[in-house]
Amino acid sequence: MAVCIAVIAKENYPLYIRSVPTQNELKFHYTVHTSLDVVEEKISAVGKALGDQRELYLGLLYPTEDYKVYGYVTNSKVKFVIVVDSSNTSLRDNEIRSMFRKLHNSFTDVMCNPFHNPGDTIQSKAFDGIVSGMMVQTA
Amino acid sequence: MAQCVQSVQEFVQDSFVPMVAVLCSEEAERVTRKNNLNFAELLRPFCRLTSEGHIRDPNNQLQVVKNLRICVNNLMTSPTTTSTSPSPAQRQLLSDVVLSCQPQESAVTNVVMAGDYELNFSVTTPWFEAYRENFLQSMPASDHEFLNHYLACLLVVSSTEAVPVEQFLKLSQEQHRIQHSGEYTNPKWFIPNTLKYYVLLHDMCEGDEQRADLVYEDMKQRYGSQGCYLLKMNSRTFSANVDEQIPDPWSQYLHKNNLHNQVNIANSSTCTGCFIYSSDEMSSSLDPLQLDSSMANLHNLSAVHADLKKGAKDSNSPACAAGSHGACLTLNDHDYIRQFIQEFTFRGLLPHIEKTIRQLNDQLVSRKGLSRSLFTATKKWFGGGKAPEKSISEPKSTFGLLYPPEAPELQIRKMADLCLLVQHYDLAYSCYHTAKKDFLSDQAMLYAAGALEMAAVSAFLQGGASRPYPAHYMDTAIQTYRDVCKNMVLAERCALLSAEILKSQGKYSDAATLLIKMTSEDSDLRSALLLEQAAHCFINMRNPMVRKFAFHMILSGHRFSKAGQRRHALRCYCQAMQVYKERGWSLAEDHINFTIGRQSFTLRQPEDAVTAFRQILINDSRQTAKQQGAFLREYLYVYKSGVLTVSLPQLPLPCIHSSATRVYFGHERRLAEGEKQAATHVSLDQEYDQDLSAMWCHLEEQLVASANGGVVPGNFQPTQCCLNSQTDNLRHPLAVVEEPIIVEVTFRNPLKVSLALSSLSLLWRFTVDGSSSSNEMTEETITNEETSAVGVGNMNKYTIQEFHLGPEETKMVIRNHIDFLLFTDQQTLDLMVRGKQDLNILGPRLNLTKEDKMSVRHGPDRRLNPIITPPMPLMEVFFLQFPTALLCGEIRKAYVEFCNVSGVALCGLRVVSTHAAFFTFGSQATTPLSPTSAENCSAYKTLATPLQRTSEATESLVSAADFRQPSGVIEIPIDGSILQPGQSTQLPLWLRGPDQEGVHEINFLFYYESAEKGLKISHRVLRHTVFICASRSLSIQASACRSSVPPHHCLDEKGSSGTLVFIDVENINTNEGGVREFHIVQVSSSSQHWRLHKYINPNKDKECKLGSRERAKLCFRAARCKPSEATSKAVKKYTFSDLSLGNEQIISSTTPCGDFFFRCLTLETQEAYGASSRISSVSRSQGSIPTENRSSDLTDIAKECSELDLNIIVIWKAYVVEDNKQLILEGQLHVALQTIGKEASSLTAKEEAQEMVLLKFKSDLPPPVILPSAEFCQLIKTNLHYPETCTHPFVQESLCLVPVTLTLSNCSLAQVDVIIDLRHKSTSPESLEVHSSFAWVGQTQYKLQLKPKEVLCLTLQACFLQAGVYNLNTPRVFAKPSEQSTMCETSQQTATPALIVISDA
Repeated sequence: MAVCIAVIAKENYPLYIRSVPTQNELKFHYTVHTSLDVVEEKISAVGKALGDQRELYLGLLYPTEDYKVYGYVTNSKVKFVIVVDSSNTSLRDNEIRSMFRKLHNSFTDVMCNPFHNPGDTIQSKAFDGIVSGMMVQTA
Repeated sequence: MAQCVQSVQEFVQDSFVPMVAVLCSEEAERVTRKNNLNFAELLRPFCRLTSEGHIRDPNNQLQVVKNLRICVNNLMTSPTTTSTSPSPAQRQLLSDVVLSCQPQESAVTNVVMAGDYELNFSVTTPWFEAYRENFLQSMPASDHEFLNHYLACLLVVSSTEAVPVEQFLKLSQEQHRIQHSGEYTNPKWFIPNTLKYYVLLHDMCEGDEQRADLVYEDMKQRYGSQGCYLLKMNSRTFSANVDEQIPDPWSQYLHKNNLHNQVNIANSSTCTGCFIYSSDEMSSSLDPLQLDSSMANLHNLSAVHADLKKGAKDSNSPACAAGSHGACLTLNDHDYIRQFIQEFTFRGLLPHIEKTIRQLNDQLVSRKGLSRSLFTATKKWFGGGKAPEKSISEPKSTFGLLYPPEAPELQIRKMADLCLLVQHYDLAYSCYHTAKKDFLSDQAMLYAAGALEMAAVSAFLQGGASRPYPAHYMDTAIQTYRDVCKNMVLAERCALLSAEILKSQGKYSDAATLLIKMTSEDSDLRSALLLEQAAHCFINMRNPMVRKFAFHMILSGHRFSKAGQRRHALRCYCQAMQVYKERGWSLAEDHINFTIGRQSFTLRQPEDAVTAFRQILINDSRQTAKQQGAFLREYLYVYKSGVLTVSLPQLPLPCIHSSATRVYFGHERRLAEGEKQAATHVSLDQEYDQDLSAMWCHLEEQLVASANGGVVPGNFQPTQCCLNSQTDNLRHPLAVVEEPIIVEVTFRNPLKVSLALSSLSLLWRFTVDGSSSSNEMTEETITNEETSAVGVGNMNKYTIQEFHLGPEETKMVIRNHIDFLLFTDQQTLDLMVRGKQDLNILGPRLNLTKEDKMSVRHGPDRRLNPIITPPMPLMEVFFLQFPTALLCGEIRKAYVEFCNVSGVALCGLRVVSTHAAFFTFGSQATTPLSPTSAENCSAYKTLATPLQRTSEATESLVSAADFRQPSGVIEIPIDGSILQPGQSTQLPLWLRGPDQEGVHEINFLFYYESAEKGLKISHRVLRHTVFICASRSLSIQASACRSSVPPHHCLDEKGSSGTLVFIDVENINTNEGGVREFHIVQVSSSSQHWRLHKYINPNKDKECKLGSRERAKLCFRAARCKPSEATSKAVKKYTFSDLSLGNEQIISSTTPCGDFFFRCLTLETQEAYGASSRISSVSRSQGSIPTENRSSDLTDIAKECSELDLNIIVIWKAYVVEDNKQLILEGQLHVALQTIGKEASSLTAKEEAQEMVLLKFKSDLPPPVILPSAEFCQLIKTNLHYPETCTHPFVQESLCLVPVTLTLSNCSLAQVDVIIDLRHKSTSPESLEVHSSFAWVGQTQYKLQLKPKEVLCLTLQACFLQAGVYNLNTPRVFAKPSEQSTMCETSQQTATPALIVISDA
């Protein structure tokens, strides 16, 4: 399961970041922030090739020594980033994809909340729950 | 990768140059020393050849050698063997080089726009280039390659030598010994017979030139003209013409390369060694206390460093006063040197190389190199004797086998190296390629990697499209060096070359990967530099990867700081900050800021450190409390360390809500002083309320208007004692000298750790006369005596006040208020910083013009800039015996005291209140206290009535002008109308409980002005607010009706004056315990036209007592006033008539009864007026105007007829038990009777219902034309007079005739037509039978006209048929005003039965 899940706004500021080893939060922030470069690169590359028929799932953004970073971009350019432990080989691309889909659905629910101010950080319990379900469970 | 000064080709080419050693005689050394240089250094600037050279390759092809550079080094022997990592001295040197090369402040920075990022950084990295250059130069010569082996040796001898030739011989032997004795491994030599070049150095100033020439001739003979050179130099004496400016080409070579200055290295290495040690300690220490010690270290160190430098300079100075190099050389000498190098290279070196290449080529050809490699391969393949020349002594190293120096495999490599050096890249590549295959087949990994590297280099340098650059060669080489050979130095060189080449080809991504791969734990400096270059690669990509750039900059900064390169680290973090700043990545931002702060601090840039830390603290950071605490400590520590020169730093914490600042002008008031209760006025405890302030403003306007003869002056501004964000702060507030100004500042602590503040005080500045020019700007501080440490709780707002200011001088403007804050962290009490925070208040945002709306503009806010004015009077108001609870209508006497506490007389005392009917000071004419009222503690003026009780009223006539004030403003009647300084006066004050029950907020506004006129402050005001709880007392309902008694019965009155007034009094007090009973003491009336005349139930007990919930009915007769009194309408005179029910009479026409009566009256008429206007407007909107017009005068007549306008005052006493004491409370209630027949009540609560008018969507049908309204019923009053009983002998006479007199009296003031119809049969069934038994006889219909107030008697006859009881009231009377065209007939008689008893005799 994921060790860090982040939602980044269109303007590239974090809407939501949650990571499992909380003491290493800073590192994940850096990792997620840096991954945005790759996301942008991928978007621009895909955008040229396929036009509107864009696959939201971007796949593996880049691997680091310890983690694998996956990306997903909604049509409104909101980015989802999931960081997975490299040692976790059981996760397949399909599972990552379904995680993103779940995340996207939950995110849509958050956006549908009439009391949510678009652009604010996400403070939804339901969303939190979904994310927690996808995170690595630390005993 | 950053941009470099050199081109890539140049750089790669210059990385591999022919090496030439120098061996100097002592004398020659001395000669060159004159120039503050050694010989190698002397030559260095001229080592690049400007002209082209030529060389012939083995195939006799002419090869051009362009832009060749040679490297000349002093021959130094060292026994050290080659190592796979740089020596500590080398590391030190590199570190120094990087340290000394810092970006200039004024360095050109480029702005890179990437997406929405705008980055500002320098694109060149000179420190990296310096590092690279030094790194390549300091590469130790290794066995597997020959590129930095010495090709030639310059033997230098001075002409001043006794026998120069002998010296040459000695040097030559020395060289031979070094190369061949085997003692020294380090200076490595390319080939055994090194080229020796003999140089005779001639000092023009010292030696004999001819002798030098002679020696040179001798040398030529001995070594051949191509093997020797006479170098003439030092043409000018040192002392001569110092002022002549000679370019100093050495400076750029020597300042960054002091490799050969051993002394300097030793000095700096010890010094910087310490430095690194200390800085390491610093970077690892997190504790501020440790930081302190390392700071001290640093300081000491730098002092030592400075001393050392000074010493070095001193030692050098005799040799070179100007501190420059080549002081004895003229420009001609420079040319000589250049010429010499050229001669040496072209005549000596290149031919030597050419020869060597040829030899090597011959050897290779003879050995059939190509087949040989095949041979070794097959040998290996078939398991033959492996590695023929492998040295046994060599341990089986990880990087494969080692060849002995003369191994044939190395010869081809040697040749390749030579070709590379002389820029014959084509040949070099093929040789390297061949060598690579050989080495690989031998599994000689180090050699193979070297060959691969150089093959790639030569392929690259070949240029053109002949061969693509084999990048994979480099990758393999790097990998081999690093992983197999564990030789990081070579790997690094390879990576540097490769990255530079990749960069030149635009493969930034590959270059970055390469560079990042080269980072490792063993060298922080290298990692830092390479990461930085990688970051530059990311930003230089076609789609700049800004965030990767930033991230790698941070990594680089981290490594730099680990390597002790604090300045570079700081620069990296600052550059990365541009990406992270203000984009919501607060955690990263905080981290960077923290690092920047820390680095800045250790670099002694405390200002930057403070700004960085400030950022962390100001941002609402999401860090944990512990982390925040660390930030705060660190921040405070910067101040604590005392590095900052600012005496009072601006502190970021706690946050000041500057807009919430409140400024209060005046003393803090005591609310109570003994029995006295001070006016509440304004205090900081009160919240600002928009409505309330509008109300006060309205009251003040009334006061000012009354003081200025009814007109509010144009420049009127309401007094504002307490300024806050909602008040109007556009004007400078006015403050009076010697009165305090209290400033309330609101702090907020955004952190999760608590802050302690102590010794807070306000800083202020004043200017005389308010003009900004030509005045003294003194800054004074007044420390506050209330220096209490106030803990600001976690995330709580805290308000700390009490900053008292006492300006000493008149006409000052307090300009800037600044807070001193003393800051403490509660955990570590020693961390305490004194600082300040500015109070800058922005005004409200402007929103009037377009510019205002487009941009954010703020208006001025002058809350904190008061103008101090000369002394003004200051009044204090105290209330005595002021109640808090009253019964409705209760009258209470209290006292009010006015004190002038200032040094100035005051006058014009006025007061206005929101409840005008609540209080009165009494009218001056009627105030005297009667002795009885003083006895009884009664508020009323009473007269004891004589014992014989009369039911007649006593009357008095009073003019309303005695009581009425023109408006709600009351001028306070004080003696002499001036209150002198220190004087105080006490006045009685009567209060009357409000008519409605509940809690009433009653506001008083006192007004006074200075006895002096023309001051800046025209007046002052004092507010007072009381809350009165009113509880129910009595409910009084009054109604009036005409008495049915015919007018002639009451002889003294005439016409319709006989009006009865019924008063229902009910005790509605709910407080059963407290109030025992109410006594109605007196009923008085007050009216312009009517008066109460008589109390009618005299037979009962006069005193009317009401227990709880009891009800009583009182009946009075009212009469019109005497016309003479009533008609004088010009002076509104009111007739008061008192009907005492007790044994003492209260003179209702005096204070306070009359006062309150008139106050209530004005209030009621105002209300009534308002209500009627409201109703009329409603009715008008409903339409039906034609009928309205017609009926209006009709109604007027009717109204006039029934108008009463009698005001009834009921005075009561309540017996209250409170604390086992019986109290007697008094009070009065007012009822205004407007019309006859209509009930009026003292309770006005039900009036509210009228205000609601239902919306109607359908227009109503027009009301009927003839209004059968009740108003007309009252036009005519009818009375029947008849004998009540009549005995008639029906037996004798069957008909009984009874005369009945019908009295008609016209109540109205108009002529009325009356129709009397007796024939009318009532349709009601119950009266049918009665009617059948009696009938009116005689004239049964009359048509009459009645003049105003006329009384007419008609004699009727009723005829009865049998005995019984009959109702005689059957005549129908119709009336209408005679002018009226239509007959609006209305029954004028209410159906009260008029019974007659007819009995049979």
